[in-house]
Amino acid sequence: MAVRREKAERLADEELMPLVSRKDPEAFEVLYDRHGGAAYSLAYRIVGDRAAAEEVTQEAFISVWRSGARFDATRGSVRSWLLSVVRNRAIDFLRSKAGKAPKLDFDDESALEQRPAAERTEEEALRRETATEVRGAIGNLPGEQAKVIELAYFGGFSHSEIAEILSLPMGTVKGRMRLGLEKIRGELAEGLA
Amino acid sequence: MSGSDHTRWSEDLAAYMLGALAPGEAREFEQHLEGCERCRNEMRWFEPAVNSLSESVERREPPPGLRAALMAEVRADARAAEAEAGAEGGSLLGWIRGNFSHRGLRLAAGFASLALAIAAVAGYEIGKGGSDSEGNGGAVTLSSREHGIDVKMVRKGEGGTLHLANVHQLPPGKVLEAWVRREGTVEAVPALMVPDRKGQAETTIASMKGVDTVMVTEEPQGGSEEPTSPALVTMTVPS
Repeated sequence: MAVRREKAERLADEELMPLVSRKDPEAFEVLYDRHGGAAYSLAYRIVGDRAAAEEVTQEAFISVWRSGARFDATRGSVRSWLLSVVRNRAIDFLRSKAGKAPKLDFDDESALEQRPAAERTEEEALRRETATEVRGAIGNLPGEQAKVIELAYFGGFSHSEIAEILSLPMGTVKGRMRLGLEKIRGELAEGLA
Repeated sequence: MSGSDHTRWSEDLAAYMLGALAPGEAREFEQHLEGCERCRNEMRWFEPAVNSLSESVERREPPPGLRAALMAEVRADARAAEAEAGAEGGSLLGWIRGNFSHRGLRLAAGFASLALAIAAVAGYEIGKGGSDSEGNGGAVTLSSREHGIDVKMVRKGEGGTLHLANVHQLPPGKVLEAWVRREGTVEAVPALMVPDRKGQAETTIASMKGVDTVMVTEEPQGGSEEPTSPALVTMTVPS
């Protein structure tokens, strides 16, 4: 028996997941309403196309619906797991379109100001604050560090592919990835302090 | 393990977390990770930075149709699962399976999608209902709202017109196709629909005689011979 929507809305993500694995559509709907916007935004960021982003997001959520039991609460939050599912789907999509270049638009500040009308919860506000900090942290990265992180995370390129693209030694690429993540992490820690 | 040995793994860690190691390298790193608390601790430290990358993207409002299509598929899936678990005999689901299974349908997402479309019809008929009807100068109007789409069916004489409003804009190369179930057979309505800028679309059904269900699905341009995607709209037509 499906839980009522109102009840599902009161549950934490981690409490919804067992219901989703028992095929409760109400629980799943709440999960989508909480994270669908972020999932679609991430998919769009990676595939760069509305129809493809829609397809990727739908496929990702359907895979979550059909394999909800695979979520492991000890390895992170539902949201980060869900977004990793979306990212993997989107990267697979990119790879299936051989030769497709990723978008490189970290500097598009005007676009970053756009905001959806929905999701005005306190939690979402906190996430956006964090997102702003991350955008700031990424924006503050030296260009060469931002680029390797961009190509890896949003472009789905391996370190050896990135080395080829940028004509750099592989060790340099890995080093820049690490330095970039260290800097983002450091700025996040400062923001939380 | 010496410090210099560990340097190699330490260099790989960020690449691993960004998904930038080749599959073989990633497996090797994971094996190392099992026995290296230092790397596990480093990973925990880096996790917020990596997770935040996905939060850093420009926010975009998902198309309204995405939620509707997703939930239609999910609800149909749930109903199909319930139907699987329960008695199948005599259900509409069983009937449609019997009618469709021999046709070798060209399904966009395999048999599951068909089951979903079918189950959407079945589920709507079994439980959701939701249609109102009114008479108007010899015409009978049925209306309902499903997945945010306003559905109005105007029957006049033998024929009928299906009006849709608040329909999301379709992906390129897609159209809406209506289907009617008449005396046990599902038929395509010839006139395909493309929503206008206001999200309105309509199609004419030449004969409503014997029709008990009207359904709308998203199909490739030119239409399909059979439904290939989950139902966006289903409407039960009283006899």
